[in-house]
Amino acid sequence: MKFLVVDDSATMRRIVVNSLQRIGFTDTVEAGDGQEALARFDSSVQFVITDWNMPNMSGTDFTRALRARPDGANVPVLMVTARSVKEDILTAMEAGVNNYIVKPFTPQVLKEKIDALLPAAAA
Amino acid sequence: MNTQRTEEVLYETEAALRLVDHGLLGLRNEAPDIEPAPQFLMQQGGLSELPAILERANAQILGVLSRLRQSRAAIESTALEKLASTHEKIKEVTSATEDAAINIMDACDRATQMVDELDTIDAEPTPDRERATGVRSNLRDELFLMMGALQFQDITSQQLAHASAVLVEMEARLIDIARLFDGKADFSEQAVRAEQSAPNVQTYDPNATTRDSESRQALADDIFSTIRAPAA
Repeated sequence: MKFLVVDDSATMRRIVVNSLQRIGFTDTVEAGDGQEALARFDSSVQFVITDWNMPNMSGTDFTRALRARPDGANVPVLMVTARSVKEDILTAMEAGVNNYIVKPFTPQVLKEKIDALLPAAAA
Repeated sequence: MNTQRTEEVLYETEAALRLVDHGLLGLRNEAPDIEPAPQFLMQQGGLSELPAILERANAQILGVLSRLRQSRAAIESTALEKLASTHEKIKEVTSATEDAAINIMDACDRATQMVDELDTIDAEPTPDRERATGVRSNLRDELFLMMGALQFQDITSQQLAHASAVLVEMEARLIDIARLFDGKADFSEQAVRAEQSAPNVQTYDPNATTRDSESRQALADDIFSTIRAPAA
């Protein structure tokens, strides 16, 4: 399964990619913001993990743009962000995010959220 | 009024006039946009103009007070609150950095003990491979924990970006205040520099924190479980 990891922090991208490798997902592609992620996304990507606060295009705007594409309408999107007030979580949900992880996260939480969305990703 | 008393009054009035004259000259020197003192102030006499002089001085003082009130309002409008919040954020950066460093050091200590344990196992005449496998697995967990602790870097960088944004805003306010007092001075260079040094607001969350991640995650989980999440 191919993952697209989107975060403007190189440290966070590395942590997420290493966490994915640890739970068995080694096929990953990275992007530093929403615009780059849209350019890198194609039908081979089966799972998206994105940050919210990024330059050029935020994670929520990226998700909205992804949902507008035929090849991105149904791909699972997991948001990993420091934003955690109720309004933000609702905004992410409205943008089309399927689940939400608050930074700093544990590898266990990441695994749980991915596992919960895997059936949709495999469909 | 006798002659002596009249002379005293005249003397006191002249002294008062000189004080006003001195004050006005001081104001003129400090604020170039204040009109110069009238010529009659430079001359002896002109006592009959004293009420007008005092009235003008009063107007000048009221003007300065008005500008001070404006500058106070400019400073008070959320600036103090933002500065206090920024101070808290910077304190949190310090504690988050320390917490992460301690967590990494603790994990290093545990990892070192595990390496020692592996050495002990290897030195045994019949090494317990199963036990060694368990220790290696735990060692990997510890190394992974160290990596996870580095998430503080992303959050503290957002906190520092927020602090930087507040400082840039304060600089802009101070430039506005300086303009109130000296309308002729050119602060455009400072204003442009302040604007250019401001961090991109899209790249950070002002409320980013390393604290209470479990309860914040629980809130997100609660919202996603009670409100229908979009189908993937």
